[in-house]
Amino acid sequence: MIETQGLTKRYGKLEALKDLNLKIEQGKVFGFIGPNGAGKSTTMMILSTLLRPSSGKAYVGGFDVEKNPREVRQLIGYMPDFFGVYDNLKAIEYLDFYCGAYQIPERKRTALIADLLELVNLSGKADSYVDSLSRGMKQRLGLARCLVHDPKVLILDEPASGLDPRARIEMREILKELRAMGKTIIISSHILPELAELCNDIGVIEKGKLIAYGSVGDMTVGVKGISIMQLKVLDQAEAAEKILTDSPFVKRVDNKNRYFRFQFTGSDVDKAALLANLLSQGIPVVSFSEAKENLEDVFLAITEGVGS
Amino acid sequence: MRGFLTNPVIIKELRERFRTGKTAWILGSYLFVMGAILFGVIYVETANKVYFRPGESREIFILLTVIQLGMIGFIAPALTAGTISGERERQTLNVLLTTHLTPFSIVSSKMLTSLLFISLVVLSSLPLYSFVFLYGGISPVQLIKIFWFFSVNIIFFGSLGVFCSARFRRTGVSTIISYGLTFLVGVGTALITFFLWQFFEMMEWKAVDSDLFPFLFSINPGFVLAEIIGEKVVPPSLTYFMEPWILFSILYLGLSVFLLGWATRVLNPLRKKRLG
Repeated sequence: MIETQGLTKRYGKLEALKDLNLKIEQGKVFGFIGPNGAGKSTTMMILSTLLRPSSGKAYVGGFDVEKNPREVRQLIGYMPDFFGVYDNLKAIEYLDFYCGAYQIPERKRTALIADLLELVNLSGKADSYVDSLSRGMKQRLGLARCLVHDPKVLILDEPASGLDPRARIEMREILKELRAMGKTIIISSHILPELAELCNDIGVIEKGKLIAYGSVGDMTVGVKGISIMQLKVLDQAEAAEKILTDSPFVKRVDNKNRYFRFQFTGSDVDKAALLANLLSQGIPVVSFSEAKENLEDVFLAITEGVGS
Repeated sequence: MRGFLTNPVIIKELRERFRTGKTAWILGSYLFVMGAILFGVIYVETANKVYFRPGESREIFILLTVIQLGMIGFIAPALTAGTISGERERQTLNVLLTTHLTPFSIVSSKMLTSLLFISLVVLSSLPLYSFVFLYGGISPVQLIKIFWFFSVNIIFFGSLGVFCSARFRRTGVSTIISYGLTFLVGVGTALITFFLWQFFEMMEWKAVDSDLFPFLFSINPGFVLAEIIGEKVVPPSLTYFMEPWILFSILYLGLSVFLLGWATRVLNPLRKKRLG
Protein backbone atom coordinates (compact mmCIF):
# COMPACT_ATOMS: atom_id res chain seq x y z
CA MET A 1 0.00 0.00 0.00
CA ILE A 2 2.89 2.32 0.79
CA GLU A 3 6.28 2.00 -0.81
CA THR A 4 9.35 4.19 -0.89
CA GLN A 5 12.40 3.58 -3.03
CA GLY A 6 15.63 5.37 -2.20
CA LEU A 7 13.69 8.33 -0.83
CA THR A 8 16.01 11.23 -0.07
CA LYS A 9 15.34 14.78 0.98
CA ARG A 10 18.00 17.45 1.20
CA TYR A 11 17.70 20.97 2.54
CA GLY A 12 20.81 22.60 1.20
CA LYS A 13 23.68 20.57 2.61
CA LEU A 14 21.55 18.93 5.29
CA GLU A 15 20.24 15.50 4.41
CA ALA A 16 16.97 15.15 6.30
CA LEU A 17 16.25 11.76 4.76
CA LYS A 18 18.74 9.33 3.29
CA ASP A 19 17.83 6.54 0.91
CA LEU A 20 14.68 5.37 2.68
CA ASN A 21 13.24 2.08 1.48
CA LEU A 22 9.95 1.04 3.04
CA LYS A 23 7.15 -1.30 2.13
CA ILE A 24 3.95 -1.32 4.14
CA GLU A 25 1.28 -3.86 3.28
CA GLN A 26 -2.42 -3.06 3.21
CA GLY A 27 -4.13 -3.24 6.61
CA LYS A 28 -0.86 -3.10 8.54
CA VAL A 29 0.06 -0.61 11.22
CA PHE A 30 3.58 0.71 10.84
CA GLY A 31 5.23 2.52 13.72
CA PHE A 32 7.87 5.06 12.92
CA ILE A 33 10.20 5.56 15.85
CA GLY A 34 12.91 8.10 16.22
CA PRO A 35 13.88 11.23 18.08
CA ASN A 36 12.74 14.68 17.03
CA GLY A 37 14.36 15.74 13.78
CA ALA A 38 15.16 12.18 12.70
CA GLY A 39 13.20 12.41 9.44
CA LYS A 40 9.81 10.96 10.43
CA SER A 41 7.82 14.09 9.65
CA THR A 42 9.74 14.62 6.40
CA THR A 43 8.82 11.12 5.24
CA MET A 44 5.20 11.64 6.21
CA MET A 45 5.03 14.98 4.44
CA ILE A 46 6.41 13.46 1.26
CA LEU A 47 3.85 10.65 1.47
CA SER A 48 1.13 13.27 2.03
CA THR A 49 2.09 15.16 -1.16
CA LEU A 50 3.25 18.18 0.84
CA LEU A 51 6.93 17.93 0.06
CA ARG A 52 8.88 17.07 -3.04
CA PRO A 53 11.66 14.51 -2.48
CA SER A 54 15.14 15.43 -3.70
CA SER A 55 15.47 11.97 -5.18
CA GLY A 56 13.81 8.57 -4.96
CA LYS A 57 10.19 7.58 -5.34
CA ALA A 58 7.22 7.22 -3.04
CA TYR A 59 3.99 5.42 -3.87
CA VAL A 60 0.69 5.25 -2.04
CA GLY A 61 -1.78 2.66 -3.34
CA GLY A 62 0.40 2.34 -6.42
CA PHE A 63 0.20 6.07 -7.22
CA ASP A 64 3.33 8.15 -7.46
CA VAL A 65 3.03 10.97 -4.89
CA GLU A 66 4.65 13.47 -7.25
CA LYS A 67 2.87 12.52 -10.46
CA ASN A 68 -0.59 11.66 -9.11
CA PRO A 69 -1.06 13.85 -6.02
CA ARG A 70 -4.83 14.05 -6.45
CA GLU A 71 -5.26 10.25 -6.40
CA VAL A 72 -2.89 10.00 -3.43
CA ARG A 73 -4.83 12.67 -1.52
CA GLN A 74 -8.04 10.68 -2.02
CA LEU A 75 -6.35 7.65 -0.44
CA ILE A 76 -4.76 9.30 2.57
CA GLY A 77 -5.85 11.00 5.75
CA TYR A 78 -2.99 13.09 7.11
CA MET A 79 -2.67 14.41 10.63
CA PRO A 80 0.42 16.57 11.22
CA ASP A 81 2.27 16.68 14.55
CA PHE A 82 1.02 20.20 15.18
CA PHE A 83 -2.13 21.55 13.67
CA GLY A 84 -4.38 24.44 14.41
CA VAL A 85 -8.11 24.82 14.30
CA TYR A 86 -10.27 27.64 13.06
CA ASP A 87 -11.71 30.22 15.42
CA ASN A 88 -15.42 30.75 15.39
CA LEU A 89 -16.25 27.35 13.96
CA LYS A 90 -18.23 24.65 15.78
CA ALA A 91 -17.01 21.04 15.72
CA ILE A 92 -19.79 20.09 13.35
CA GLU A 93 -18.99 23.02 11.03
CA TYR A 94 -15.30 22.18 11.15
CA LEU A 95 -16.01 18.67 9.87
CA ASP A 96 -18.53 20.03 7.38
CA PHE A 97 -15.82 22.29 5.97
CA TYR A 98 -13.54 19.33 5.34
CA CYS A 99 -16.44 17.31 3.90
CA GLY A 100 -16.79 20.16 1.43
CA ALA A 101 -13.06 20.16 0.78
CA TYR A 102 -13.31 16.47 -0.15
CA GLN A 103 -16.40 17.13 -2.27
CA ILE A 104 -18.67 14.90 -0.21
CA PRO A 105 -22.32 15.49 -1.23
CA GLU A 106 -24.25 17.60 1.27
CA ARG A 107 -27.02 15.03 1.75
CA LYS A 108 -24.49 12.52 3.10
CA ARG A 109 -22.73 14.90 5.46
CA THR A 110 -25.08 15.01 8.46
CA ALA A 111 -25.01 11.25 9.03
CA LEU A 112 -21.29 11.02 8.27
CA ILE A 113 -20.36 13.78 10.71
CA ALA A 114 -22.52 12.21 13.44
CA ASP A 115 -20.80 8.85 12.88
CA LEU A 116 -17.33 10.38 12.98
CA LEU A 117 -18.03 12.33 16.15
CA GLU A 118 -19.34 9.13 17.70
CA LEU A 119 -16.19 7.26 16.67
CA VAL A 120 -13.94 9.79 18.37
CA ASN A 121 -16.24 10.18 21.39
CA LEU A 122 -17.12 13.79 20.68
CA SER A 123 -20.85 13.48 20.02
CA GLY A 124 -21.55 15.65 23.06
CA LYS A 125 -19.33 18.42 21.69
CA ALA A 126 -20.88 18.71 18.23
CA ASP A 127 -22.07 22.26 18.82
CA SER A 128 -19.08 23.42 20.84
CA TYR A 129 -16.66 25.88 19.31
CA VAL A 130 -13.51 24.04 18.25
CA ASP A 131 -11.36 26.59 20.00
CA SER A 132 -12.95 25.75 23.33
CA LEU A 133 -12.08 22.02 23.16
CA SER A 134 -9.24 20.52 25.19
CA ARG A 135 -6.04 19.46 23.42
CA GLY A 136 -7.05 15.80 23.57
CA MET A 137 -10.45 16.60 22.09
CA LYS A 138 -8.92 18.72 19.33
CA GLN A 139 -6.57 15.86 18.54
CA ARG A 140 -9.51 13.45 18.31
CA LEU A 141 -11.43 15.92 16.19
CA GLY A 142 -8.34 16.13 13.95
CA LEU A 143 -8.47 12.36 13.61
CA ALA A 144 -12.18 12.53 12.70
CA ARG A 145 -11.25 15.16 10.13
CA CYS A 146 -8.76 12.72 8.57
CA LEU A 147 -11.54 10.21 8.14
CA VAL A 148 -14.23 12.29 6.39
CA HIS A 149 -13.44 10.84 2.95
CA ASP A 150 -12.96 7.29 4.30
CA PRO A 151 -9.27 7.04 3.35
CA LYS A 152 -7.57 3.67 3.09
CA VAL A 153 -4.34 5.02 4.56
CA LEU A 154 -3.87 7.11 7.67
CA ILE A 155 -0.64 9.07 8.10
CA LEU A 156 -0.49 10.17 11.72
CA ASP A 157 2.45 12.24 12.85
CA GLU A 158 2.80 12.08 16.64
CA PRO A 159 -0.96 11.79 17.27
CA ALA A 160 -0.49 11.46 21.01
CA SER A 161 2.05 14.20 21.56
CA GLY A 162 1.16 16.62 24.29
CA LEU A 163 -1.74 14.54 25.54
CA ASP A 164 -2.26 13.60 29.16
CA PRO A 165 -2.21 9.85 29.97
CA ARG A 166 -5.99 9.53 29.87
CA ALA A 167 -6.27 11.29 26.50
CA ARG A 168 -3.42 9.13 25.21
CA ILE A 169 -5.25 5.95 26.18
CA GLU A 170 -8.43 7.23 24.51
CA MET A 171 -6.47 7.99 21.35
CA ARG A 172 -4.92 4.52 21.41
CA GLU A 173 -8.33 2.89 21.71
CA ILE A 174 -9.60 4.82 18.69
CA LEU A 175 -6.54 3.80 16.70
CA LYS A 176 -7.16 0.17 17.60
CA GLU A 177 -10.69 0.55 16.30
CA LEU A 178 -9.34 2.00 13.05
CA ARG A 179 -6.90 -0.88 12.76
CA ALA A 180 -9.82 -3.28 13.17
CA MET A 181 -11.57 -1.41 10.31
CA GLY A 182 -8.70 -2.48 8.05
CA LYS A 183 -7.02 0.89 7.62
CA THR A 184 -3.36 0.96 6.74
CA ILE A 185 -1.79 3.22 9.33
CA ILE A 186 1.61 4.80 9.47
CA ILE A 187 2.12 6.37 12.85
CA SER A 188 5.10 8.12 14.34
CA SER A 189 6.03 8.68 17.91
CA HIS A 190 8.95 9.43 20.10
CA ILE A 191 7.07 8.02 23.07
CA LEU A 192 7.78 4.42 22.29
CA PRO A 193 5.73 2.15 24.53
CA GLU A 194 2.51 3.58 23.14
CA LEU A 195 3.28 1.99 19.77
CA ALA A 196 4.18 -1.48 21.06
CA GLU A 197 0.75 -3.02 21.19
CA LEU A 198 -0.57 -1.10 18.20
CA CYS A 199 1.93 -1.85 15.46
CA ASN A 200 2.62 -4.84 13.25
CA ASP A 201 5.93 -3.44 12.06
CA ILE A 202 8.24 -0.76 13.30
CA GLY A 203 10.99 1.22 11.71
CA VAL A 204 13.62 3.03 13.69
CA ILE A 205 14.96 6.16 12.07
CA GLU A 206 17.77 8.34 13.25
CA LYS A 207 19.52 11.22 11.49
CA GLY A 208 17.52 10.54 8.35
CA LYS A 209 18.57 6.88 8.11
CA LEU A 210 16.41 3.85 8.70
CA ILE A 211 18.54 1.84 11.08
CA ALA A 212 16.16 -0.99 11.92
CA TYR A 213 13.01 -2.24 10.26
CA GLY A 214 10.89 -5.30 10.93
CA SER A 215 8.02 -6.80 12.85
CA VAL A 216 7.65 -5.93 16.51
CA GLY A 217 8.31 -9.58 17.39
CA ASP A 218 11.60 -9.61 15.49
CA MET A 219 12.83 -6.46 17.11
CA THR A 220 14.46 -7.65 20.28
CA VAL A 221 17.45 -6.25 21.99
CA GLY A 222 18.68 -9.83 22.33
CA VAL A 223 19.69 -9.62 18.69
CA LYS A 224 22.41 -7.25 19.72
CA GLY A 225 23.49 -9.39 22.71
CA ILE A 226 21.97 -7.03 25.20
CA SER A 227 19.61 -7.98 27.99
CA ILE A 228 17.54 -5.69 30.13
CA MET A 229 18.01 -6.25 33.85
CA GLN A 230 16.15 -4.98 36.87
CA LEU A 231 17.37 -4.63 40.40
CA LYS A 232 15.50 -3.68 43.54
CA VAL A 233 17.27 -2.80 46.79
CA LEU A 234 15.96 -2.04 50.28
CA ASP A 235 18.29 0.92 50.83
CA GLN A 236 21.83 2.09 50.00
CA ALA A 237 20.59 3.02 46.53
CA GLU A 238 23.53 5.33 45.93
CA ALA A 239 26.09 2.64 46.68
CA ALA A 240 24.21 0.19 44.48
CA GLU A 241 24.14 2.69 41.62
CA LYS A 242 27.90 3.21 41.93
CA ILE A 243 28.54 -0.54 41.68
CA LEU A 244 26.30 -0.74 38.62
CA THR A 245 27.90 2.21 36.83
CA ASP A 246 31.37 0.90 37.63
CA SER A 247 30.61 -2.42 35.93
CA PRO A 248 31.92 -2.56 32.34
CA PHE A 249 28.85 -4.58 31.27
CA VAL A 250 26.22 -2.15 32.52
CA LYS A 251 24.81 0.64 30.37
CA ARG A 252 22.04 3.20 30.69
CA VAL A 253 21.23 2.84 34.36
CA ASP A 254 17.78 4.13 35.16
CA ASN A 255 17.33 4.75 38.88
CA LYS A 256 13.73 5.03 40.05
CA ASN A 257 13.93 5.26 43.82
CA ARG A 258 15.68 1.99 44.80
CA TYR A 259 14.47 0.32 41.59
CA PHE A 260 17.06 0.09 38.84
CA ARG A 261 16.66 -0.82 35.20
CA PHE A 262 19.72 -1.18 32.99
CA GLN A 263 21.17 -2.74 29.86
CA PHE A 264 23.58 -5.61 30.44
CA THR A 265 26.00 -6.65 27.74
CA GLY A 266 27.80 -9.48 29.51
CA SER A 267 27.16 -13.23 29.84
CA ASP A 268 25.23 -15.08 32.59
CA VAL A 269 28.55 -15.57 34.44
CA ASP A 270 29.04 -11.79 34.41
CA LYS A 271 25.50 -11.31 35.76
CA ALA A 272 26.21 -13.71 38.64
CA ALA A 273 29.47 -11.88 39.36
CA LEU A 274 27.65 -8.54 39.44
CA LEU A 275 25.08 -9.90 41.91
CA ALA A 276 27.84 -11.38 44.08
CA ASN A 277 29.61 -8.01 44.06
CA LEU A 278 26.43 -6.21 45.18
CA LEU A 279 25.88 -8.68 48.02
CA SER A 280 29.52 -8.70 49.13
CA GLN A 281 29.37 -4.92 49.55
CA GLY A 282 26.38 -5.30 51.86
CA ILE A 283 23.69 -4.00 49.46
CA PRO A 284 20.31 -5.37 50.61
CA VAL A 285 19.13 -6.76 47.25
CA VAL A 286 15.40 -7.56 47.13
CA SER A 287 15.35 -8.78 43.54
CA PHE A 288 17.76 -9.15 40.62
CA SER A 289 16.29 -10.44 37.37
CA GLU A 290 15.91 -10.02 33.64
CA ALA A 291 13.16 -7.55 32.72
CA LYS A 292 10.68 -7.83 29.89
CA GLU A 293 12.02 -5.47 27.31
CA ASN A 294 9.88 -2.75 25.84
CA LEU A 295 10.18 -0.72 22.67
CA GLU A 296 12.10 1.94 24.49
CA ASP A 297 14.82 -0.57 25.33
CA VAL A 298 14.79 -1.76 21.72
CA PHE A 299 15.14 1.76 20.48
CA LEU A 300 17.94 2.63 22.86
CA ALA A 301 19.80 -0.58 22.09
CA ILE A 302 19.44 -0.15 18.33
CA THR A 303 20.40 3.49 18.25
CA GLU A 304 23.40 2.91 20.48
CA GLY A 305 26.33 4.63 18.85
CA VAL A 306 24.35 6.05 15.93
CA GLY A 307 25.38 9.59 15.13
CA SER A 308 27.93 9.71 17.92
CA MET B 1 -23.28 30.52 -8.66
CA ARG B 2 -23.88 27.07 -7.24
CA GLY B 3 -20.12 26.50 -7.16
CA PHE B 4 -19.76 29.75 -5.30
CA LEU B 5 -22.37 28.83 -2.71
CA THR B 6 -20.95 25.34 -2.15
CA ASN B 7 -17.26 26.28 -2.10
CA PRO B 8 -16.19 25.15 1.39
CA VAL B 9 -13.51 27.83 1.80
CA ILE B 10 -15.95 30.60 0.94
CA ILE B 11 -18.56 29.23 3.35
CA LYS B 12 -15.97 28.87 6.12
CA GLU B 13 -14.47 32.30 5.55
CA LEU B 14 -17.87 33.98 5.51
CA ARG B 15 -18.85 32.12 8.66
CA GLU B 16 -15.65 33.10 10.42
CA ARG B 17 -15.65 36.69 9.22
CA PHE B 18 -19.28 37.61 9.69
CA ARG B 19 -19.83 35.76 12.93
CA THR B 20 -17.62 38.05 14.98
CA GLY B 21 -18.52 41.41 16.39
CA LYS B 22 -15.32 42.78 14.87
CA THR B 23 -16.93 42.89 11.43
CA ALA B 24 -19.85 45.00 12.65
CA TRP B 25 -17.42 47.31 14.42
CA ILE B 26 -15.25 47.80 11.31
CA LEU B 27 -18.32 48.54 9.18
CA GLY B 28 -19.85 50.81 11.80
CA SER B 29 -16.62 52.72 12.38
CA TYR B 30 -16.07 53.20 8.66
CA LEU B 31 -19.54 54.61 8.11
CA PHE B 32 -19.24 56.76 11.21
CA VAL B 33 -15.97 58.32 10.01
CA MET B 34 -17.27 58.89 6.48
CA GLY B 35 -20.59 60.27 7.77
CA ALA B 36 -18.87 62.52 10.30
CA ILE B 37 -16.66 64.01 7.56
CA LEU B 38 -19.64 64.55 5.25
CA PHE B 39 -21.88 66.14 7.85
CA GLY B 40 -18.96 68.13 9.25
CA VAL B 41 -18.20 69.62 5.86
CA ILE B 42 -21.87 70.37 5.11
CA TYR B 43 -22.22 72.01 8.51
CA VAL B 44 -19.13 74.18 8.06
CA GLU B 45 -20.07 75.11 4.49
CA THR B 46 -23.62 76.13 5.33
CA ALA B 47 -23.19 77.49 8.84
CA ASN B 48 -23.21 81.17 7.87
CA LYS B 49 -25.12 80.94 4.60
CA VAL B 50 -28.73 80.65 3.63
CA TYR B 51 -28.05 78.86 0.35
CA PHE B 52 -26.04 75.88 -0.90
CA ARG B 53 -24.44 75.92 -4.35
CA PRO B 54 -24.22 72.71 -6.43
CA GLY B 55 -20.50 73.43 -6.91
CA GLU B 56 -20.01 72.94 -3.19
CA SER B 57 -21.81 69.63 -3.38
CA ARG B 58 -19.26 68.61 -5.98
CA GLU B 59 -16.47 69.45 -3.56
CA ILE B 60 -18.07 67.20 -0.97
CA PHE B 61 -18.28 64.44 -3.56
CA ILE B 62 -14.58 64.83 -4.38
CA LEU B 63 -13.72 64.77 -0.70
CA LEU B 64 -15.76 61.61 -0.12
CA THR B 65 -14.23 59.91 -3.13
CA VAL B 66 -10.65 60.75 -2.19
CA ILE B 67 -11.19 59.56 1.37
CA GLN B 68 -12.77 56.36 0.11
CA LEU B 69 -9.86 55.65 -2.23
CA GLY B 70 -7.49 56.19 0.68
CA MET B 71 -9.58 53.85 2.81
CA ILE B 72 -9.48 51.15 0.12
CA GLY B 73 -5.68 51.43 0.01
CA PHE B 74 -5.69 51.13 3.78
CA ILE B 75 -8.28 48.36 4.26
CA ALA B 76 -7.61 46.04 1.29
CA PRO B 77 -4.04 45.05 2.30
CA ALA B 78 -5.06 44.78 5.95
CA LEU B 79 -7.81 42.30 5.12
CA THR B 80 -5.91 40.22 2.59
CA ALA B 81 -2.28 40.25 3.77
CA GLY B 82 -3.01 37.60 6.41
CA THR B 83 -5.32 35.31 4.49
CA ILE B 84 -2.80 32.62 3.54
CA SER B 85 0.04 33.37 5.93
CA GLY B 86 -2.61 33.24 8.67
CA GLU B 87 -3.48 29.67 7.66
CA ARG B 88 0.24 28.88 7.73
CA GLU B 89 0.69 30.44 11.16
CA ARG B 90 -2.35 28.63 12.54
CA GLN B 91 -0.86 25.42 11.12
CA THR B 92 -3.96 24.69 9.09
CA LEU B 93 -2.51 25.20 5.61
CA ASN B 94 -0.81 21.81 5.24
CA VAL B 95 -3.97 19.97 6.15
CA LEU B 96 -5.89 22.08 3.63
CA LEU B 97 -3.39 21.22 0.91
CA THR B 98 -3.89 17.47 1.42
CA THR B 99 -7.59 17.78 0.59
CA HIS B 100 -9.08 18.06 -2.89
CA LEU B 101 -8.87 21.85 -2.72
CA THR B 102 -6.39 23.05 -5.31
CA PRO B 103 -4.00 25.92 -4.54
CA PHE B 104 -5.98 27.97 -7.07
CA SER B 105 -9.30 27.33 -5.36
CA ILE B 106 -7.77 28.27 -1.99
CA VAL B 107 -6.28 31.51 -3.36
CA SER B 108 -9.36 32.51 -5.35
CA SER B 109 -11.78 31.74 -2.51
CA LYS B 110 -9.70 33.72 -0.02
CA MET B 111 -9.52 36.60 -2.48
CA LEU B 112 -13.24 36.50 -3.19
CA THR B 113 -14.33 36.53 0.45
CA SER B 114 -11.97 39.41 1.22
CA LEU B 115 -13.34 41.31 -1.79
CA LEU B 116 -16.88 40.65 -0.62
CA PHE B 117 -16.18 42.27 2.69
CA ILE B 118 -14.35 45.29 1.25
CA SER B 119 -17.14 45.70 -1.31
CA LEU B 120 -19.70 45.56 1.47
CA VAL B 121 -17.84 48.35 3.26
CA VAL B 122 -17.68 50.49 0.12
CA LEU B 123 -21.25 49.79 -0.99
CA SER B 124 -22.61 50.48 2.45
CA SER B 125 -21.30 54.02 2.05
CA LEU B 126 -23.44 54.52 -1.07
CA PRO B 127 -26.27 56.22 0.85
CA LEU B 128 -23.80 58.91 1.89
CA TYR B 129 -23.42 59.81 -1.77
CA SER B 130 -27.17 60.38 -1.96
CA PHE B 131 -26.55 63.59 -0.03
CA VAL B 132 -24.48 64.79 -2.93
CA PHE B 133 -27.21 63.81 -5.40
CA LEU B 134 -29.72 65.65 -3.26
CA TYR B 135 -27.94 68.88 -4.09
CA GLY B 136 -26.79 67.93 -7.60
CA GLY B 137 -23.44 68.68 -9.17
CA ILE B 138 -22.37 65.18 -10.22
CA SER B 139 -23.55 62.90 -13.02
CA PRO B 140 -24.65 59.26 -12.58
CA VAL B 141 -22.12 58.21 -15.24
CA GLN B 142 -19.35 59.70 -13.14
CA LEU B 143 -20.62 57.80 -10.11
CA ILE B 144 -20.66 54.53 -12.07
CA LYS B 145 -17.13 55.20 -13.32
CA ILE B 146 -16.01 55.96 -9.77
CA PHE B 147 -17.41 52.69 -8.46
CA TRP B 148 -15.85 50.76 -11.32
CA PHE B 149 -12.56 52.48 -10.51
CA PHE B 150 -12.97 51.55 -6.83
CA SER B 151 -13.65 47.94 -7.84
CA VAL B 152 -10.43 47.79 -9.87
CA ASN B 153 -8.52 49.22 -6.90
CA ILE B 154 -10.10 46.74 -4.50
CA ILE B 155 -9.24 43.82 -6.79
CA PHE B 156 -5.67 44.99 -7.33
CA PHE B 157 -4.80 45.87 -3.73
CA GLY B 158 -6.61 42.70 -2.60
CA SER B 159 -4.55 40.57 -5.02
CA LEU B 160 -1.41 42.29 -3.82
CA GLY B 161 -2.27 41.38 -0.22
CA VAL B 162 -3.13 37.77 -1.11
CA PHE B 163 0.09 37.43 -3.09
CA CYS B 164 2.19 38.78 -0.21
CA SER B 165 0.46 36.46 2.24
CA ALA B 166 1.25 33.45 0.02
CA ARG B 167 4.83 34.56 -0.67
CA PHE B 168 5.86 35.55 2.86
CA ARG B 169 5.52 33.15 5.76
CA ARG B 170 4.68 35.69 8.45
CA THR B 171 1.60 37.88 8.42
CA GLY B 172 3.59 40.76 9.93
CA VAL B 173 6.09 40.75 7.06
CA SER B 174 3.37 40.24 4.48
CA THR B 175 1.36 43.20 5.84
CA ILE B 176 4.36 45.53 5.86
CA ILE B 177 5.32 44.61 2.30
CA SER B 178 1.69 44.93 1.13
CA TYR B 179 1.51 48.43 2.57
CA GLY B 180 4.91 49.27 1.10
CA LEU B 181 3.78 48.21 -2.38
CA THR B 182 0.44 50.00 -1.93
CA PHE B 183 2.36 53.13 -1.04
CA LEU B 184 4.57 52.65 -4.10
CA VAL B 185 1.52 52.42 -6.37
CA GLY B 186 -0.39 55.22 -4.68
CA VAL B 187 2.35 57.73 -3.92
CA GLY B 188 5.52 56.36 -5.50
CA THR B 189 4.18 56.48 -9.06
CA ALA B 190 3.10 60.10 -8.53
CA LEU B 191 6.55 61.04 -7.22
CA ILE B 192 8.26 59.29 -10.13
CA THR B 193 5.98 61.10 -12.58
CA PHE B 194 6.64 64.43 -10.91
CA PHE B 195 10.38 63.84 -10.83
CA LEU B 196 10.53 62.80 -14.49
CA TRP B 197 8.36 65.77 -15.49
CA GLN B 198 10.74 68.12 -13.75
CA PHE B 199 13.69 66.35 -15.35
CA PHE B 200 12.17 66.76 -18.83
CA GLU B 201 11.58 70.46 -18.11
CA MET B 202 15.16 70.86 -16.92
CA MET B 203 16.53 69.20 -20.03
CA GLU B 204 14.11 71.29 -22.10
CA TRP B 205 12.61 68.16 -23.65
CA LYS B 206 8.97 68.31 -24.67
CA ALA B 207 7.30 66.26 -21.97
CA VAL B 208 3.79 66.73 -23.38
CA ASP B 209 4.81 65.11 -26.65
CA SER B 210 6.20 62.03 -24.99
CA ASP B 211 4.09 58.83 -24.77
CA LEU B 212 5.65 58.17 -21.39
CA PHE B 213 3.64 60.75 -19.44
CA PRO B 214 0.14 59.73 -20.52
CA PHE B 215 1.15 56.24 -19.39
CA LEU B 216 2.63 57.43 -16.09
CA PHE B 217 -0.40 59.58 -15.33
CA SER B 218 -2.64 56.58 -16.09
CA ILE B 219 -0.96 54.24 -13.64
CA ASN B 220 -1.38 56.47 -10.61
CA PRO B 221 -4.75 56.04 -8.89
CA GLY B 222 -4.79 59.68 -7.78
CA PHE B 223 -4.36 61.13 -11.28
CA VAL B 224 -6.91 58.70 -12.75
CA LEU B 225 -9.44 59.62 -10.07
CA ALA B 226 -8.86 63.30 -10.81
CA GLU B 227 -9.50 62.62 -14.50
CA ILE B 228 -12.76 60.77 -13.77
CA ILE B 229 -14.16 63.53 -11.59
CA GLY B 230 -13.03 66.17 -14.07
CA GLU B 231 -10.39 67.86 -11.97
CA LYS B 232 -7.58 68.98 -14.23
CA VAL B 233 -4.40 68.21 -12.34
CA VAL B 234 -2.37 67.21 -15.40
CA PRO B 235 -1.21 69.81 -17.95
CA PRO B 236 -4.13 70.46 -20.34
CA SER B 237 -1.85 70.13 -23.38
CA LEU B 238 -1.16 66.47 -22.55
CA THR B 239 -3.09 64.11 -24.82
CA TYR B 240 -3.93 60.58 -23.74
CA PHE B 241 -3.78 57.77 -26.27
CA MET B 242 -6.44 55.92 -24.24
CA GLU B 243 -8.78 57.13 -21.54
CA PRO B 244 -6.77 56.91 -18.30
CA TRP B 245 -9.39 54.88 -16.42
CA ILE B 246 -9.48 52.27 -19.22
CA LEU B 247 -5.68 51.94 -19.33
CA PHE B 248 -5.62 51.85 -15.52
CA SER B 249 -8.25 49.06 -15.47
CA ILE B 250 -6.50 46.94 -18.11
CA LEU B 251 -3.11 47.31 -16.45
CA TYR B 252 -4.14 46.66 -12.87
CA LEU B 253 -6.63 43.90 -13.62
CA GLY B 254 -3.88 42.22 -15.66
CA LEU B 255 -1.46 42.62 -12.78
CA SER B 256 -4.06 41.18 -10.40
CA VAL B 257 -4.41 38.05 -12.54
CA PHE B 258 -0.60 37.75 -12.61
CA LEU B 259 -0.28 38.14 -8.83
CA LEU B 260 -3.02 35.60 -8.12
CA GLY B 261 -1.41 33.18 -10.57
CA TRP B 262 1.93 33.63 -8.83
CA ALA B 263 0.31 33.13 -5.41
CA THR B 264 -1.24 29.88 -6.67
CA ARG B 265 2.17 28.71 -7.88
CA VAL B 266 3.82 29.56 -4.58
CA LEU B 267 1.16 27.64 -2.70
CA ASN B 268 1.60 24.43 -4.67
CA PRO B 269 3.74 22.21 -2.41
CA LEU B 270 4.90 20.04 -5.30
CA ARG B 271 6.02 22.85 -7.59
CA LYS B 272 9.44 22.46 -9.13
CA LYS B 273 11.90 24.84 -7.59
CA ARG B 274 14.66 26.37 -9.64
CA LEU B 275 18.00 24.82 -8.97
CA GLY B 276 20.66 26.82 -7.25
